[in-house]
Amino acid sequence: MNPKSYLAYTLGYQLFGKSFLSWQRHSDERKLRAIRPAPDDPLNPPLVGTARMKELMSRHYLEGRYANGVRKVAWVTSGAPIEVLRALDFFLIYPENHAALCGARRHAEGLAVEAENAGYSRDICSYARTDIGAALSGRTPMGKLPRPDLLVCCTNICQTVLYWYRVLAAHFGVPLYVVDTPFLYEKVADHQLDYVLEQIEGLIPVAEKVAGRRVSRGRLQEIMEQGKDCAELWLEIMDRAQHRPSPITAFDGFINMGPIVDLRGEPETFAFYKELLREIDRRIEQGVGAIRDERKRVLWDNLPVWYKIGKLSRHLGAKGVNVIVSTYTYAWGELAPMMDASDPMRSAARVYLHPILNRSTGDKLRSMREMVARFQLDGAILHSDRSCKPYSLGQIDQRDNLANDLGVPAVLLEADHNDPRVYSDEQADARLDAFVETMEAA
Amino acid sequence: MGEAKWIGIDAGSTTCKAVAVDAAGDLIASRIEPAHPVIEDQAARLVDELRAEAGAGGEVPVVATGYGRKLVRGATRNITEITCHARGVFRALKQPGMLVDIGGQDTKVIVIGPGGRAVDFMMNDKCAAGTGRFLEHSAARLSVAIEDLGPRALGAVGEESISSTCTVFAESEIISLVARGAKVDAILLGLHRSLISRVVAMIHSVGLRSPLMLSGGVARNLAARAMLEQATGQKLHLPEHPQLMGAYGAALVGLESGADR
Amino acid sequence: MLTIPTRAEVVRQVRERGERVAAVLPIHYPRALLRAHGFQPMEVWGPPSVSVVEGNAHFQAYTCGIVRNATSFLLQGGLDAADVIVIPHTCDALQGMASVLKDFIEPRQPVATIYLPRAARSADRGFLQAELHRLAQQLAEISGRSPSGGELMAAIEREEEADRELGALAEHRSEIDLGDRDYFTLLRAREFLPAESFIELARSAPRGRGPDRGVPLMISGIVPEPMDLFDHINEMGAHVVADDLACCSRRLYRPGSASDPFERMADALLGGPLDPTRGSPILERARAVASRMAQCGAKGLLVYDVKFCEPELFDVPLLRKHLTEAGLSMLHVEFDMTGSIAQQTLTRIEAFVEMLQ
Ligand code: SF4
Ligand code: SF4
Repeated sequence: MNPKSYLAYTLGYQLFGKSFLSWQRHSDERKLRAIRPAPDDPLNPPLVGTARMKELMSRHYLEGRYANGVRKVAWVTSGAPIEVLRALDFFLIYPENHAALCGARRHAEGLAVEAENAGYSRDICSYARTDIGAALSGRTPMGKLPRPDLLVCCTNICQTVLYWYRVLAAHFGVPLYVVDTPFLYEKVADHQLDYVLEQIEGLIPVAEKVAGRRVSRGRLQEIMEQGKDCAELWLEIMDRAQHRPSPITAFDGFINMGPIVDLRGEPETFAFYKELLREIDRRIEQGVGAIRDERKRVLWDNLPVWYKIGKLSRHLGAKGVNVIVSTYTYAWGELAPMMDASDPMRSAARVYLHPILNRSTGDKLRSMREMVARFQLDGAILHSDRSCKPYSLGQIDQRDNLANDLGVPAVLLEADHNDPRVYSDEQADARLDAFVETMEAA
Repeated sequence: MGEAKWIGIDAGSTTCKAVAVDAAGDLIASRIEPAHPVIEDQAARLVDELRAEAGAGGEVPVVATGYGRKLVRGATRNITEITCHARGVFRALKQPGMLVDIGGQDTKVIVIGPGGRAVDFMMNDKCAAGTGRFLEHSAARLSVAIEDLGPRALGAVGEESISSTCTVFAESEIISLVARGAKVDAILLGLHRSLISRVVAMIHSVGLRSPLMLSGGVARNLAARAMLEQATGQKLHLPEHPQLMGAYGAALVGLESGADR
Repeated sequence: MLTIPTRAEVVRQVRERGERVAAVLPIHYPRALLRAHGFQPMEVWGPPSVSVVEGNAHFQAYTCGIVRNATSFLLQGGLDAADVIVIPHTCDALQGMASVLKDFIEPRQPVATIYLPRAARSADRGFLQAELHRLAQQLAEISGRSPSGGELMAAIEREEEADRELGALAEHRSEIDLGDRDYFTLLRAREFLPAESFIELARSAPRGRGPDRGVPLMISGIVPEPMDLFDHINEMGAHVVADDLACCSRRLYRPGSASDPFERMADALLGGPLDPTRGSPILERARAVASRMAQCGAKGLLVYDVKFCEPELFDVPLLRKHLTEAGLSMLHVEFDMTGSIAQQTLTRIEAFVEMLQ
């Protein structure tokens, strides 16, 4: 630990930063409570709990600013087995989440351009471009990202992250540990589980060496349990959308998912989601839906279009369409039942093999069909995300199956999760309007 | 003014250009016309015209460049636009550096080394974003004459941002902006910004160098020029005949090859 | 001139021997395992110039041409001669294709996949061996043929021999008296010829002084389609002295030494040349490319990529930077897997050649 960094950390983050952010949350909460939507606004007042989400995420990135020299830093993919790292007190940066925040705050394009200027093609994932641009330029709306001491990349979401982390490894000159997760075309097989288990175990000595200390198995188990609690709670929140009218939208899920990705298992994350659930339950008691007039209930597949969340929710809300669930936000909870703290390593191997992006296209369709039934959905929007091949390939057949076999109107919406330059409001609106008309006719 | 020694033809997709040079390499006669579908005939006619105007009666050899370069009959050589632009601009401005050529179909960023050779280059991919066509197309949508594009954009009060760089998407964006009552000039400014951002990306991926030089049809557009200067922080150097640099370079390559008649 | 049998002729010979055909997608897979189970691999790299209507009915326009064309080709009956379709897990695009074939298109032929680890640690070796055993079992179920350890070993040694011949062709390009197009047609015959025929063919290649005209280039990318590319390059005044193509030199596997056939196959696949789809570190790869260029006197590297091929695209900037620092030039172009090369792409290559002259 570097004494100067430690001092900055204590003053900037522990003393001043935290209290400032908590003051800011109170003021945000007051503002949110005071919102009285205009009479023609299709949305009901927003969730006040979102203010705490903002506080948690800002605090996380604020700590990141001061982390180098105080805590070891690892940059990890969203599906990486972080329990080992947390047990060693690594500070974690999730470049995908960082890119998403940039996207939602309309900074992604400028950063992507930095990467494009360096020669990274516009055809590579816009998360990767956003983050590579941030790494190359040192710019980020979050102030400053700490340099990694270790990179951990898990291929259970895509191979893209492998290519991307190789670029980061070359840029930062730090070790890259790959957890390779065979894609599950079919049911998981023993040799696949053994392989992932061996790699998660192999991460321990690598991370210990960087951290300069040994991991305690007891702590590991505790972290597993906390992770499971958080995931279960998140799933419970998502499942509240079964109520009619649904108290939440998938867009609420997108906005509030930061902590379950970046800070999963942290006690404060648990407290935040507990509070959010209470607020949602109050809505249910009062019979208040997320939108004023819920006539159609719809599924969202794939990543959000970060820079159009507000626009899309209003556009659809005005037509009485509530997008209530998404396969994407669901992915952070649906595996909770697989987590078994009594056998932490093996159950981790199982969990990290099973994210929706690592399961077959047929299995993804099954998940969507189950959601249609459980949430009583009237239609599905499949965001065909130019940037995310693993999520999008297969959607043409999935859509056909939903529409033709199941009789659920479904539309493919061409867009990109982080690059506004390939999005056309006019075309998207026209397509969505036609989709709403088919639902109304159905 | 000497007599014509070599002729360069730049058969582009939107315009066809022809240049004659004398033994000293000075530009002594030129033509520029919209491209005809039958490039062979047009090129042959232009060559005849230049020979008649500046030749000494005999044959004057021809070097062809541009997208239709292989169709120019009787050319002794054909060479790519990249090499020719580098050569032409180097001679016209007498300095190495970085040349940006924004043409109708292609945009090129060329690093010109000492001696006028291209030492590195970048060209837009197939889509029209970042080329003159992007502006032309959109201008047509707004019923603005090409010559007026730049001045009107420069005179705009406010700017409508055009998020799509794709020509087709941009078109629908324009339509809806107009429908919402946006000012045409402000839209034009946004369109220029979008074009220039694409060009700047190409400049950076080669690595910005100075002096920065500009050629091609879009060089006549004042707004594009001002925005490019602003975005790169560089003063732009323009040759006297920005649109003729490809044809001029072609003629120079012929002259330097020494294979006189 | 060499006479290379056509794919149709090879299919006929294979049938006459009472064997089967496996259609195989790029890039890395255990050839010997297929052969020992009675399957002759016939690789599918596109192909270019098929109508892509059927492929577009299943995959979005931003999917790479190999996947869209191969799907079209399959649905047009182009793979009817195949008894199994083998799809290695090369990238997200082929992952999607395999999954959509298995779950939605359900072709007549069974679809077999193989997952290739992206590192070469002991866990990766162990897993790949297990994965090869699983594939062996699946192949045995289809063909009804379970090779003995000896048969498997014999097949492995034959493939190793063929790889050695391929390596010799790649290493001594300047001594092979064939024009670029013929030379690469010869290398690419490995994509569908049985190892023993390829060995014979390779040995019969005319030696002497290879073509030595114009600017020496090295070519990189997945696959050089359409093959007219080489004619164009020659016309422009350049020639190709070495390659880093996924379909050619990136598959020069070193012969193994393990006595267990599965271990030996796994070692070969994991120890092959550097390749972004296998997760090779970028700088290591860039250094290898630069030193190969120096070795064979190439002045420029032409990176000829399939549009939307992410694994290749991520390496481009650092590769370019490294080569520039080493005083070498690089040009990156993309193509669409159609039957012809865009005029604009050719202009870029030509300008690159002019620049190096
Ligand atoms: S958006 Fe898709 S391709 Fe990009 S990192 Fe995430 S999973 Fe991978
Ligand atoms: S060309 Fe690239 S993206 Fe396409 S199948 Fe091959 S490796 Fe995958």
